[in-house]
Amino acid sequence: MSVAASESIVSTLEKARRELAVLARSSEGEIASLTRGFEDLAGQTNAILSLASSIIASIESEGVRSVLPSVQALGATARRFVEDRLRATTGILDTVNMEVHLLRHLSRVADSQATIALKTRVLTMLTNVEVGRLGAEGAGFEYLATELSKFSNALSEDTEELADQTDTRRTTIEATRRVLAAEIPQLREEFARIDANLGDELAALEEGLTQLSGIPLQFKSCVEEIAEQIASVVAAIQSHDITRQQLEHVQEAFALICGELHTGRSQDGITPEESRAHAGVSIQIYQLQNVRASIERWTSQIRSCMEVILNTSATGLAGISPLVVEQETQATAKLAHIEQLESESRRYSERIRGAVGGHSSLLQLVGEHVEKSKTVRQLLHLLSLNSIIEASRLGEKANAILEIGKGITSLSTEWGEITDQSEQAMQEILKLVDQTGELMQTFSESGHERLREAQEATRSGLDSLRQAAAFTAGQAREIQFATERMQATGKVLGQDGDRLDASYRRVDAVLGEIEAVRRQMEADRPGIMAEYDTAELERLYSISYTTEIEREVLHAALFGLPLPVAAEVSSGNDVELF
Amino acid sequence: MKRILSVDDSASIRQMVGFTLRNAGYEVAEAVDGRDGLAKAGGSKFDLVITDLNMPNMDGLQLIEALRKQPGYTFVPILMLTTESQAEKKDAGRKAGATGWIVKPFSADQLIAVAKKLIK
Repeated sequence: MSVAASESIVSTLEKARRELAVLARSSEGEIASLTRGFEDLAGQTNAILSLASSIIASIESEGVRSVLPSVQALGATARRFVEDRLRATTGILDTVNMEVHLLRHLSRVADSQATIALKTRVLTMLTNVEVGRLGAEGAGFEYLATELSKFSNALSEDTEELADQTDTRRTTIEATRRVLAAEIPQLREEFARIDANLGDELAALEEGLTQLSGIPLQFKSCVEEIAEQIASVVAAIQSHDITRQQLEHVQEAFALICGELHTGRSQDGITPEESRAHAGVSIQIYQLQNVRASIERWTSQIRSCMEVILNTSATGLAGISPLVVEQETQATAKLAHIEQLESESRRYSERIRGAVGGHSSLLQLVGEHVEKSKTVRQLLHLLSLNSIIEASRLGEKANAILEIGKGITSLSTEWGEITDQSEQAMQEILKLVDQTGELMQTFSESGHERLREAQEATRSGLDSLRQAAAFTAGQAREIQFATERMQATGKVLGQDGDRLDASYRRVDAVLGEIEAVRRQMEADRPGIMAEYDTAELERLYSISYTTEIEREVLHAALFGLPLPVAAEVSSGNDVELF
Repeated sequence: MKRILSVDDSASIRQMVGFTLRNAGYEVAEAVDGRDGLAKAGGSKFDLVITDLNMPNMDGLQLIEALRKQPGYTFVPILMLTTESQAEKKDAGRKAGATGWIVKPFSADQLIAVAKKLIK
């Protein structure tokens, strides 16, 4: 190689060494600045984590945790409340229909009793005729005639009263039925609407509160994410130290190559020094290419990790407070709506109660009438026995009276049958009255009381949620300030990163110059690579290498293997204790 | 508060060691090379020393050997934090009196866990 060519190469290598030295100094300052910025960012993240942590503690309080179960209990109670009313309204309409049917039957019974009263009147007249015909002998029948007369009058009155009362009751209950028939479908629709609304409202409320109960988990996930990213940045920043050492060793190698070129200068064939210098240049090209790739990797790792930290803090953590406040607002609004629905239900209950009122008056009517009917039957039986005994005593002369007695016996039997029917119908009505009473219990205050208790339990939990939300709103402002500070730090860090990137881009220029040197050497000394003694080269250049990656790169350069690139280190290496 | 001395010629490594251990509740002092480290260790008592291997003026092995000669540092744990991973280097570290070896970059969690374990 000519002296001029050799001096030109040495000059280029020395210039490259100076450039790398400048780069090492400037990048040292830039990485220190970036590291300080990162420490600020980590400190600000810690501040946000601490604020978010206090929010989590407030929403994890016993009171707030009770909101969801109490809302679920309220939902179940409210839906049962409405469903019971839906079932009861249908039951009430059924019992009213049956009562109308029974009252019609009772009317027919009353008609039959009226016919018996008429027949008794006829028998009274016949008895009077017979008493007149028998004269003094028939004096014993005068009592019978008198009793029959009194009885037939009383019977007529009672029967008329029963008929009147039954008609009145029937008229009333038919009116009730008409009202219910018209109202109940509408009420059922209303209850169904309330039920559907309740379902929707409670589902939305539950969803929101479930989301709220998931916040601690979301926070934990944010904390873990941030810790992972911080560990990753810590590891990436340390990679700078490896890069720094690599660059120092490249500079040392440049000095070594310059020495080889000085001592091995020759006009004739390729000297061993020239061969080692060429190999050294090739190795440094590999080392610089590896440095460039490593820098790309760890600087981009720092950037992306910091971006994740910023995003997680600005959205994940800062987003917790509005979520708590929003859930509290929604939960309060929805509870108010549920209270409104309960109030509507109460109004409809009042309408039902009003429509079926008056059932108790029927109880009295039925009881009195059954008792009277039994007395009538006993009296008729006594009268028939009395007339038959008296007629038997007089013999043939009183045959007509005997027939009257038989007639009274027949009426007594007929009355008994009708009374049985009447009593049966009345018992059925009594059952219906009881059933209606039970159904009306659904609309009683105790049903509302259970719902009110569930509402109270929810309200108490909501008070805790409200307190947590108020506290959160205060913390949210602090988080907002901290996030703004963090974003400002993020911008500064971005600028530091840009400066670092610009510094490291100088490696590209050095690399270009060294590649030109290698091309020049190969042009001056064709076949220079054939003179390589790889074992000697490995020993010579590996002396100063302190990192595993440098040794790997050296090996790849000497044996023409692909360029190894240091793997991304997300969390660093373990400690080996002796 | 337990005290740790971090010795490294790389400012960014010192910053990261300090950042990691301070956040874990330790007081961390820094030295820029072995000589600085020895001076700081002599003037104060530390519960753990973490040192780089290759440093100007005095390297990590020389520092360990010098510290082990000082009465106050006979049993103080000393960790080597270096880019070197060769077995012979580790062996040299062990012979000099190192307690453990960490190849850069270190894992923050691991470093804290080991510090807790060594400083009782």
